[in-house]
Amino acid sequence: MFRSLFLFDVTFWLYLAAVVLYFGYLVASKKALRPAYAGHPVSSEEDDGWAQPLGQLATWVTFFGLLVNGLALGMRAYERMQLSGTFAPWSNQFEAMSYVSFAIIAGYLFLELKYGIKAVGAFVVSVGFIAMGAASLLPYRYQVAEPLVPALNSYWIYIHVSITLTSYAAFAMAGGLGVMYLLKERAESRGRRGTIYDTFPSLEKIDELGYKSVMIGFPLLAFGVILGAMWANYAWGGYWSWDPKETWSLIVWLIYGAYIHARMNRGWEGHRAALYQVFGFGMVIFCFWGVNFLLSGLHAYA
Amino acid sequence: MDAITKRTEDAKSFSFKELGDALVEFFSSLKLAIFLMITLAILSTVGTVIQQGERPEVYIKEYGENVYWWFVKLGFVDIYHTWYFSTVLVLLCINSLTCFHQRFPAIWRSIRQDKVNVTAAFIQNLKRSATVDLPAERSKVAEALGVAFAERGYRVLVNKGGTETTLYATKGIMGRVSAHVAHLSVTVIVAGGLLGNILGFRDFGVCLEGETYHVPQGNFDLHVDKFWIDYYDNGAVKSYNSTLTVIENGEKQVTKTITVNDPLVHKGIWFYQSSYGDSWDRVEKARIVVRDKATDKVVGEAILDWRKEAELKNLGLKLQLTDFVADFGFDAKDRRVYSKTVEHENPAIKLAITESDRQLAAPWIFYNYPDLFEIQGSKYKFELTGYLTKKFTGLQIAKDPGVIIVWIGSTLLVVGVMLSALIFHRRVWAKVVSERHGVTVYLGGTAYKGQIDFDREFQRLSEQLKTLRQSTA
Repeated sequence: MFRSLFLFDVTFWLYLAAVVLYFGYLVASKKALRPAYAGHPVSSEEDDGWAQPLGQLATWVTFFGLLVNGLALGMRAYERMQLSGTFAPWSNQFEAMSYVSFAIIAGYLFLELKYGIKAVGAFVVSVGFIAMGAASLLPYRYQVAEPLVPALNSYWIYIHVSITLTSYAAFAMAGGLGVMYLLKERAESRGRRGTIYDTFPSLEKIDELGYKSVMIGFPLLAFGVILGAMWANYAWGGYWSWDPKETWSLIVWLIYGAYIHARMNRGWEGHRAALYQVFGFGMVIFCFWGVNFLLSGLHAYA
Repeated sequence: MDAITKRTEDAKSFSFKELGDALVEFFSSLKLAIFLMITLAILSTVGTVIQQGERPEVYIKEYGENVYWWFVKLGFVDIYHTWYFSTVLVLLCINSLTCFHQRFPAIWRSIRQDKVNVTAAFIQNLKRSATVDLPAERSKVAEALGVAFAERGYRVLVNKGGTETTLYATKGIMGRVSAHVAHLSVTVIVAGGLLGNILGFRDFGVCLEGETYHVPQGNFDLHVDKFWIDYYDNGAVKSYNSTLTVIENGEKQVTKTITVNDPLVHKGIWFYQSSYGDSWDRVEKARIVVRDKATDKVVGEAILDWRKEAELKNLGLKLQLTDFVADFGFDAKDRRVYSKTVEHENPAIKLAITESDRQLAAPWIFYNYPDLFEIQGSKYKFELTGYLTKKFTGLQIAKDPGVIIVWIGSTLLVVGVMLSALIFHRRVWAKVVSERHGVTVYLGGTAYKGQIDFDREFQRLSEQLKTLRQSTA
């Protein structure tokens, strides 16, 4: 138990370091941008200064953090196996949060690898870090691996929970990108130049990435909710019982469904979409945390 | 006269058609879809904030009587079964079906035939376009473009004219088809849910080990062979299990041990291990302490099995535990003892006493009030000092013939949403026009979704086009 808790702690500090490094990278790139003329940022090798090494380091620290996070989850799985014969390392609130931050960071690293934009890291890794931080703020009794209650003791927990949590991670990324969009948009509308916002990708690109994240989260959530319904059909005697948790997952799904349909109209790109992504993520947080602590229901295991 | 009648008829039929079109337009609109989804989300939220299907006292205690009155009026205490919630669901089905009707045929047609011949102006007006002059032969450029499209997985159609060749390349139309599959699935799921509501049922049974129960819905009997609880090392409950046997016409059909995630299914009826608890009308064993009335000293002790006579030879006593209630209540009208609740608030046993071969009264003995009654004609006092509860197994019994339809709809939904999120419809046109110096290529394209990826792809395509200058010259 203590091994995995130690590794979770290390993950927390590594993510914190990564966030600091990414912000350092932003500030350094801003300095590198300053000598540019007429609002045309030129970033050549010599101008970069600290930005390049900081960015590299940030990526490596994030990657290392992800490894340790994965290791911590693996260790927890092993401990669970010893304890109760099931290994799903997402069986309580703490483990679920840790898994979500793992998924967020993994998703971000994939994004960075594919699109090569580091500035996003400051925001998305922050979301992952906050998830990890919130998990470590939970009381100790929530952090340890208690044996599973009978209803959870099933192979469905592996697939239903992991898929639903992965969808949360995708929505978290969309939320982080939404915040990023709004910040950059505000800076641009005020005509400010030479700020860290110049290092962000273009508004259009942030917008599209946010949309892509939602497009990953949306089908995953649909799949997760339906797997939950199948599980419920085995465990609770009915595939749908309007339990607060499942209802809230449906609410979140509907909210993003409305978003995806709204984007078919041109007017729902950019500002509105970014605001909506942030709002949607708020709803995800409520679904994930609020329901467990504020509303009672069949899912109130943690 | 004739002319006038004819004109009004025209006008009438025209306006009917117009009305129909307007209705279809309205019901298939995106705005309605968004409105309905948000409405459904808000109504569902109300249902999670206000507890559903509770007893009136619970609401009155929390919100007061006035608010409760409004809750009942507005259906907030059972919002998922109100007429307006169902209406929104039905409207959502109509919405997605009309959308399918309105938009799918065009998509289907474009799979078979598509707009190949377009003007150069059309291409230049597309969201992404490039114009490149190349000193090369028209046929070679067209061929190279065709290969470039095909390499990226596009389906290519070519139209050769006198001075110009038009290429049309498309991929990912399945993304749009699957979006409509998802639309249809909504209706399938709702239909499955409705069917289950009409033809299915859900019941709850409190069953005891060793008893047989009749299941009228399936016309068979269910015998509970065994019930037990497994624990973890730290004492937490690991699982609870019941071994059930289905008996039909006196013959044993199936025996299965069910546990929380593993129900028994017979003739479409599902038996779930739902809960367990302490019975309120019987116990396994009870411990009785016997005191001498005169000295108040303990003279004997007996552990009685349920409804089995036990003998205390040295005291000349025969005792039998005949009844138990967990929360003693007395119905004065029927002169009947019953358990007021299922909680063990005021447990009592009925003890049949035979003293020196003389049958005495069978008094109720209370666990919480040992000195309540004096038993006439007996030398002894009897105290109930403990009992072993009899566990009942809580079985949920359900039948839902709609469930298979719900699964079909769910599969369609997941596959549809997944594919439409992953596959983006893209269309690219290239027009190669012969000029004096060689050719001018107009390249342009649109993507239905996934703009960044398409941007990159288009960028690469136009760069590849520019390199044709060297290779074909």
